[in-house]
Amino acid sequence: MDLAKYRTLFLEEATDHLAEMSRALLELEKDAGNAEAIDLVFRMAHSIKGMAGSLGYDAVTEVSHVLEDRMDECRTAGRVDGPGLGILFRGLEGLERMVETVKTTGEGPPSATELLAELAAEPAMPEAPPPSPPAAAHETPPKKV
Amino acid sequence: MTRVLVADDASFMRQMIRDIIDQEGFEVVGEAADGVEVVEKFTELSPDLVMMDIVMPKRSGIDAVKAIMEIAPQAMVVMCSALGQETLVMEAIQAGAKDFIVKPFKPESVLTTLRKVLEKES
Repeated sequence: MDLAKYRTLFLEEATDHLAEMSRALLELEKDAGNAEAIDLVFRMAHSIKGMAGSLGYDAVTEVSHVLEDRMDECRTAGRVDGPGLGILFRGLEGLERMVETVKTTGEGPPSATELLAELAAEPAMPEAPPPSPPAAAHETPPKKV
Repeated sequence: MTRVLVADDASFMRQMIRDIIDQEGFEVVGEAADGVEVVEKFTELSPDLVMMDIVMPKRSGIDAVKAIMEIAPQAMVVMCSALGQETLVMEAIQAGAKDFIVKPFKPESVLTTLRKVLEKES
């Protein structure tokens, strides 16, 4: 495999994908239920994961995989929640730094243990709120008809 | 030469597939970057085999397989998937895809899968 050729392709495409992800996340900041933006971030993360995996850039693969999984949950939920969006931005920044490392060193970036822990710390979507409690016994009883 | 249509939204992946299969009895006759384009190119080029990513813009790989099967029920489509996409792969097989390969691609494994599909279907 011509590594230099594929590294160049990776840098070009990953840079474009990260810019698209950034624009989509900004859209989601305005409209958390923007399905097109959710789908785009999912696909960009998926695509970066595939390219990085082919080049053995494990740190990029791991972070993009986590982002892809989070976005898959958001696709199912049909929205991104506020804290979840912050985590997605941090994941994006992490990937940007990693791509920059590949660009400047020509090598895969080191493992991103702290970022991965941060990404895993909060669920992509908060648990559904518990059902409303049954009406308390002391509340006004229904009127007899 | 077996004429192949390659569909993936990443030009990186299309190039990689091209490099693996070119000169190995396969000729890449066309490329598509999304699920709509692959159906259009399939109609236009009538390839012997289609290699298609599951996750694509505009129309998913699974929807594109279904559309191709409506056009040509005997079409040979091989899906390109990633680890963790087993459910989607099964869905694509049920929709008519003949087999699948998993990213990151191992050249020998890709060629073996394509030859196996061609042998089975010939």
